[in-house]
Amino acid sequence: MLSRWLDVLRLRIRSLTRHGQVEAELDRELRGHLEAMVEENLARGMTPADARRIALRDFGRLDEVKEASRDARRVALVENLLRDLRYSLRGLVREPTLLLTATASIALGAAGNIAVFSLARELAFGSPDLRDPGGVVAMRVSHSSHVSHQRWRDLDASGALDQIAGYNFGGQVHWFRGDATVAIQSPMLVTANFFDMLGLPLARGRGFTATEARAENDPHLVVVSHSFWQHALGADSAVLGRTLRLDGAAYTIIGVLAPHLRSIAGLGIAPPLYLPLNRSLEPDLLSPGTQRVQLVGRLKPGQSHGAAREALDAVDKRLARIAGDTVYGGVQELGPVGAVGDSKVRQIRAFFTMLSVVSMLIVLIACANVAGLLIARGAARRSEIAIRLAIGGTRRRLVQQLMAEAFWLAVIGTLAGLGLSALAMLAINTITLPIALPIELRLTIDRPVLLCALVLVIVTMIASALLPALSATRPSLVTALHRDEPRRLGRRLTMRGLLLAGQVTVSTVLLVTAFLFLRNLQRSHLTDPGFQVEGVLVTEVGFLRGDDQSAEQQRMLLERMAERASALPGVGAVAFGAAVPLTTKSGSSNGRSIQFEGRERPEHVEYYRSEVSPGYFALLGIRLMAGRDFGPVDRAGAPPAVIVNEEFAGRYLDGRAVGRRFVFAEAEKPVAYEIVGVVANSKSRTIGEELRGAMYLPMAQRPDSRAFGFVFVRAAGEDATLARRLESRLSAEDRSVSVEVQPMRSALTFALLPSRLGAAVLGALGLVGLMLAACGLLAVVSYTVAQRTKEIAIRAALGATRARILGLVMRDASMLVGVGVGLGLVIAAMATRGLSAFLVAGLSATDPVSFIGTTAVFFLVAILASWMPARRGISVSPSIAMRVE
Amino acid sequence: MRPSDLIQGTLDVLILKSLAREPRHGWAIAKHIQAVSNDVLQIKQGSLYPALHRLEQQGFIRSEWEAGASGREIKVYALTRAGRAQLEVECSQWERLSAAIRLTLRNA
Repeated sequence: MLSRWLDVLRLRIRSLTRHGQVEAELDRELRGHLEAMVEENLARGMTPADARRIALRDFGRLDEVKEASRDARRVALVENLLRDLRYSLRGLVREPTLLLTATASIALGAAGNIAVFSLARELAFGSPDLRDPGGVVAMRVSHSSHVSHQRWRDLDASGALDQIAGYNFGGQVHWFRGDATVAIQSPMLVTANFFDMLGLPLARGRGFTATEARAENDPHLVVVSHSFWQHALGADSAVLGRTLRLDGAAYTIIGVLAPHLRSIAGLGIAPPLYLPLNRSLEPDLLSPGTQRVQLVGRLKPGQSHGAAREALDAVDKRLARIAGDTVYGGVQELGPVGAVGDSKVRQIRAFFTMLSVVSMLIVLIACANVAGLLIARGAARRSEIAIRLAIGGTRRRLVQQLMAEAFWLAVIGTLAGLGLSALAMLAINTITLPIALPIELRLTIDRPVLLCALVLVIVTMIASALLPALSATRPSLVTALHRDEPRRLGRRLTMRGLLLAGQVTVSTVLLVTAFLFLRNLQRSHLTDPGFQVEGVLVTEVGFLRGDDQSAEQQRMLLERMAERASALPGVGAVAFGAAVPLTTKSGSSNGRSIQFEGRERPEHVEYYRSEVSPGYFALLGIRLMAGRDFGPVDRAGAPPAVIVNEEFAGRYLDGRAVGRRFVFAEAEKPVAYEIVGVVANSKSRTIGEELRGAMYLPMAQRPDSRAFGFVFVRAAGEDATLARRLESRLSAEDRSVSVEVQPMRSALTFALLPSRLGAAVLGALGLVGLMLAACGLLAVVSYTVAQRTKEIAIRAALGATRARILGLVMRDASMLVGVGVGLGLVIAAMATRGLSAFLVAGLSATDPVSFIGTTAVFFLVAILASWMPARRGISVSPSIAMRVE
Repeated sequence: MRPSDLIQGTLDVLILKSLAREPRHGWAIAKHIQAVSNDVLQIKQGSLYPALHRLEQQGFIRSEWEAGASGREIKVYALTRAGRAQLEVECSQWERLSAAIRLTLRNA
């Protein structure tokens, strides 16, 4: 059996590929036959001329025989396919409206999909550029994202994994460029073996080796990113060996990374500098309490994640015990880089997963549109197809022809989509987000993207053509020749109707999601941050890392700057603090055990903490509800004072907070803090957060120094030059710090970024979906009305009012839409549950406004889409309508 | 009797049968059928060659070029195993059909 099929296959292929040879053989065979006939005639005693003439006569026409043999060989299969492709392309060109609408639908869907695909790959799912990234794992041990330098070294030396390296990412360093001090955001501080283990590709030079970069030797080496080399160092060809003065020490450049690296930090973040973790940058690096190292490891050859986890778990538990910690040792997570620990990465992944689903839904809507168009066309060609089926065209052959059409639509549409998405990528690449992270996007059309496009072609082709092809060739000659689809009531749920209902379902899900995000944006804008935003300028002051400035010296500098600022014309109140709410530097979230005076036992208290100067609350318009503001009495050495917000007072102290004292239960030397004031609630870390307790300490009493501080200035008017004057005035105060002034409004820009991005992307996608669905609806209703022209005319002739007929037509459309929307709402209610993480407080994932709004929009669209064709149907005079057949 | 008078599909079984004993070339097949049927069945080239090519494509027969008696190369067809099986199937079908027709003509 098998050999037979192989034989058959061989012959078919031969017929196709060796066409000439096969034809020649056929010719030879037939001529041989002819000669045999001639010989036979000669043997009968004919003259040679007669023998040939009669043989030729009997043989019949050579070409006909050849043609018939060729058919028998079924070369047909592929030749037909090519012919179908040619034929259908010509057919499509002759119907530009169909071609244009169908390909535009597919193009829109494909463009969205491709753009989302490449963005998701770049931001969320791409693995970092490393040597053999599959063998690299991230891990979280001892219940902490970062461990101490000592712990890292012990874990690495334990041999549980092949190697373990570590990094610390974020913050900033200052570059003394000679003419100015530049703050460089988010350098990557790495352990000595980082480059050895991960094998980052370099364009020039080398990474530092484990021996030369040992933290104990305080190494001063730096590897710069390609774009830092290009933009900040002027693409200097003699860059290796040059030194950069960073935070007061000279660092030798030993390497330049390859261009466009996906860093281990993920999210498209490209750290400009890679520095060895050392004591100049982290003075307390080697003390066991300083946890600065985020771990990443390379598995031994053949080591599974499970085995690695087990081995490391034992080691870390032992190390923790030795360090006197019996509770927290062990491995909590171990997995591919990007999948571990960072909840932000996970949220972004969830977001992109949702985006991918949404854009796939849009492709399906587009396919449903194309399918609708093709079914309509199939219906118009129904009699032609029926006749062809009747005279022996096989169904398969006809389906193949229709599929050929879909193939062209899919190819042209996807190509156009690819073009559109290339434009979108160019636009996306130029976007800079208003956040202090060195994000570099480099979306290009590369092989995976092309692969994605190919998949789209196949999906769209099948999704948009299979149903129409099958429905158009459904072999029912009799009804087909009647020119109409059966019109009996109850059979109105045709294939097209079902398709439309499905399309409406999908669009509903999409629109609900888009609506939710728009509502989210609107809510976020309306949400009162609880402090004044307009007319406030924020000056960020970056202190040197590792400099020996004490907390008091830092405070004095800030105070001096505030005084200088208040001397400038146009400046009102001034204050300073340790954090700016709603930015990346917005203070800390704490959960501590606190013993309030007069209570029996300590309580667990969750709160946001920041340090502020006197006048801070007044400047930001945060009302003092009780007690007093900080003042000169709250200086270093004075009894510690704190101010809490209303939420804190209400939740933990029954609203009577002023005068209460407490100690931190776990502190080594408990100090009694006194609550001296209560201020109004305000947002601290995100705009969408629920009310949370807050505790403010006076700047003068904070125990430790920080990398930065902030001077707040109330500006009298909208003076654009004030920011610049402020910046130059304050940076003159101390050349060793970096100074950057920006309006408080930018804090809000950052806070609103997630909801804005979500609303923009999903709003756009939702709109596309709605448009596509509306087009589909319009087409279906127009078509059914056209089908029922005669019926409508008869009803009109029999005296039905226009309103009645209009109602009749629109009832059908509404039914389809109703079914679709109903189903869609149910699915949306399930699907949007996963979105709660992105929504502001008080907006539920099943927000009734979004659901009702979507329903309303759809019925409005349904009414509009069916009203126009229905009117046209009514306006046809009965006598004309009856003659249509 | 002309091939067009043959019931459709009968030609295939005739060709298979004529190849059952030995491989033949096209002309020989036509001659053989004509001779065996006492000159009743004359197969036209216009039917013969398409049928041969179809059977070959279906894997029931296979062909080879051989040196003929006259020194010309001739294309010789032979039954395959599948062809032999097919011949049996078609023969028994034909038997049933013709018996049924005979019965109908005699008794109806």
